[in-house]
Amino acid sequence: MDIEVKGHSGCDISVVREQNVLYVYKSTYDPKYVARLLKQASKQQEASTVEYQHIRVPKIFDVSSDEHRATIKMQYIYSKNFVEYFEQSGFEQIDYLIHAIEYFVEKELAQSPVQRVPQEVFIEKFEDVRHKTLCKPEMADDARVKELLERSAELFGSLGDWEIPVGVCHGDLTFSNILFNGNNYFLIDFLDSYVETPLQDIVKIRQDTCYCWSPLMYQHPYDSVRLQIIFDKIDSEVDTYFATRYEWYRRFYKPMQLMNLLRILPYATERRIIEYLKTIISQLLNEI
Amino acid sequence: MKYSLIVPVAADKPEYNETLPYVFGLDEEGVVICIRAIMGMDTSCFDNIYFTILRKHDAKYCLSEMLQMQFGRLGLSQAKVVVLDAPTSSQPETIYQTIRKEHIEGAIFIKDSDCYFTCEPRPQNGVAIYPLEELSMVDPRNKSYVAVDDMFYVTNIIEKRVVSRYFNAGGYCFESSDEFCRYYERLHNLGHLYLSHIIYAMLLDKREFRPIRVKEYKDWGTMHLYKMDLINLYK
Repeated sequence: MDIEVKGHSGCDISVVREQNVLYVYKSTYDPKYVARLLKQASKQQEASTVEYQHIRVPKIFDVSSDEHRATIKMQYIYSKNFVEYFEQSGFEQIDYLIHAIEYFVEKELAQSPVQRVPQEVFIEKFEDVRHKTLCKPEMADDARVKELLERSAELFGSLGDWEIPVGVCHGDLTFSNILFNGNNYFLIDFLDSYVETPLQDIVKIRQDTCYCWSPLMYQHPYDSVRLQIIFDKIDSEVDTYFATRYEWYRRFYKPMQLMNLLRILPYATERRIIEYLKTIISQLLNEI
Repeated sequence: MKYSLIVPVAADKPEYNETLPYVFGLDEEGVVICIRAIMGMDTSCFDNIYFTILRKHDAKYCLSEMLQMQFGRLGLSQAKVVVLDAPTSSQPETIYQTIRKEHIEGAIFIKDSDCYFTCEPRPQNGVAIYPLEELSMVDPRNKSYVAVDDMFYVTNIIEKRVVSRYFNAGGYCFESSDEFCRYYERLHNLGHLYLSHIIYAMLLDKREFRPIRVKEYKDWGTMHLYKMDLINLYK
């Protein structure tokens, strides 16, 4: 039986049984997305060659494309989503996960020397985000959004060049892009990024643990108190781990998180999400 | 170290405005049900025993006097009634307010008033457990479940999700009332809080909890279940 689901990126996802083995087919029929999906496939293929202990990457068996479409055939993973996993995990499993995240980012850091990234890269990215945000009439008419963008512009203009590790990253490492299989964690939906930095992966993990992002998108009932307790624990451990080791983390985590949250703003459609984003962006600006 | 037993009986339901909560009713031997709930334990190991009730229930049903008479009759000289002026939002809040009001120090054992079991209550972090398969009638939705490893350490506790053959039998022990209060203060704003949330947060911070294996468990979760238990007794 084939199962079709919609992926987060708008790609079509099919689960297909072939000779008694399940495979996932991820496809795009949007000519503008073809190059991006191929880039993501190559990122995933590269990541799957590295041993990350408990963190794994589904194998890619085939990539086919033409100018109108692209399809990736990959390993099917029997798994739970993050809410189901966290609802049933004992304290020792949460502990494994925290260490696995730290180990994964450390492996990325080993391939990502600290480099000077000109501040123009971030200013350009911010200007792109600002333009996209203000193209949406409901955002352009929102005085608070305009004020937050002004404050952000001032901040990104004042930081100077960034000295951060550059090399590899997943690009969108939220819990909704992790498949939980016992104590193995499979990463999916790799994303190309404007700066390939492991800092982006810490930022994305903390987008969930600090700002509870993925649960906002979760449709089923769940124990929100338990999830918050788990997120608080992961957040404090991850933050302490990197803050006690790396100057670039202490200096640039918050600006990078600000850019991350701003990047979501133009794509937010639901009123509650827009309001939430405005609140947390404002909080973050007050902290920097 | 001081060791106190706290029995929260301060649940507020609309029907209690007209009807006596069934746990304040008498059993077949004339013992109040919420007091019967602790009689499977060796109460002499507790320095103090607190029954926490609501002012409005006390005013309507004269509960303090009734409980005091029972304490005298049953020789529970260290037992006391604690009256809260307003309903609380959760069981942990009832415990927290009892600790603060009575300046309780040392270890606390919290016993639900709607069930009975026998056990040896040691003053260390622990959760009362009972195996699901030993119950003939059970509503699995109103319980929390406790996962235990091979060396009998609690590794997980969760509300209403069957992750283990053991469920929480309605008894919890914290070796420090101060630590309980610190966790309550940290977590109480997150939403509707259960004692299992406090224990889970402590587990994540590497506090050890041992299972307390109870015997002769009787679930009186509702008036109906209490009556069923009586029927079984007289069969």
